[in-house]
Amino acid sequence: MSTEWVANHLDDTQNIRIIESDEDILLYEMGHIPNAVKIDWVTDLQDQIVRDYVGKDRFAQLCSERGIGNDTTVVFYGDKNNWWACYAFWVFKLFGHEKCLIMDGGRKKWEAEGRPLVREKPEFPQTNYQAKDPDPSIRAFRDEVYEFMKRGGQLIDVRSPAEFTGEKLHMPEYPQEGALRGGHIPGARNVPWARAVDEDGTFKNREELEHIYLEEKQLRPDDEVIAYCRIGERSSHTWFVLKYLLGFDQVKNYDGSWTEWGNLVGAPIEKGPEQPPA
Amino acid sequence: MADPSLRLELLMDYAQRLPELPEQYHPLRDAGLNMVHECQAPVFLVVDVEEGKVRIHADVPREAPTARGFTSILIESFNGADPAEVQAAPVDGLHALGLDTLLGMQRTRGLSAIYRRVQEEVARKAAA
Repeated sequence: MSTEWVANHLDDTQNIRIIESDEDILLYEMGHIPNAVKIDWVTDLQDQIVRDYVGKDRFAQLCSERGIGNDTTVVFYGDKNNWWACYAFWVFKLFGHEKCLIMDGGRKKWEAEGRPLVREKPEFPQTNYQAKDPDPSIRAFRDEVYEFMKRGGQLIDVRSPAEFTGEKLHMPEYPQEGALRGGHIPGARNVPWARAVDEDGTFKNREELEHIYLEEKQLRPDDEVIAYCRIGERSSHTWFVLKYLLGFDQVKNYDGSWTEWGNLVGAPIEKGPEQPPA
Repeated sequence: MADPSLRLELLMDYAQRLPELPEQYHPLRDAGLNMVHECQAPVFLVVDVEEGKVRIHADVPREAPTARGFTSILIESFNGADPAEVQAAPVDGLHALGLDTLLGMQRTRGLSAIYRRVQEEVARKAAA
């Protein structure tokens, strides 16, 4: 959805809930789109003890408190080219929320267009949200990724080239996030996630995206794809691009990603540049 | 421990109070030098010891208020302090401030790098 569409639907709080999801925990407090609520990827969506997402009950409570019903259309936006907005979108899909949208261009575009940001936190009547069991068709676990790799499935690694080759264990300028080995899952293709966005933070158009993923990387839209990165956040962005902008049938996000694979005893690893598909 | 929204507000106040970077440091910043590379936000940091007192200058973009807020806390706490005080400050400063539980592990790691840089530079400059 465009920023203009969102600007025209700010008051339709009966049917639409705008959700800000940022890497920076303070940005929402500094000013957000009028009537937008906040969902934080760490404190709201992740379990604080087990390395996992919150459970279905906690998710339902999170939605109910923000006045999100099962029929509400939720529109996500955030900083860093909507990276965390896509992450939150993915979690909503995991729990079976139907009507999810992304505001194209995110915070950056909204601000660049001089649209209003407010500090007032809206309150909405509590709902009684019913979350579904997590949808296994969009989430991959390590054993499945291992089998998938063995049968030559389409794996897409969305980290920076230096992380992919194994030269670095983390993104340039980002903190080391504990992996003991560098490299990529054997057979994976490398498309850094940010290649899917333009300078202004909006997604590239379909033709440009097809050029990258279908022609250059030879991905087949009818076959299953598993995307991964370091902790499963950048790959949720690519997951969104493949599934919703390019219409791939079956795309999963491997949220264990490199911080799991690069620490697993005995897991096969390939170093260096991308190898041609077998 | 104060409630999380109150602590976020405090951090926001600090973010707004970060002093402007003196102009003499602009060329260094614009050349991309003195950056704390482990942090998610482009944090520019100059740590000096002048006449036996610690002086910190920093610049953090407004799009990264969390890193701004934390840097601003460091400046208010350590500017004008004796180097020994900075070195004696707890290594896990973010934990001491209760920020680690508020921010989560990944964000804490990035900010710890700013803190570590301040302590390391003070130790180095004080010894020089």
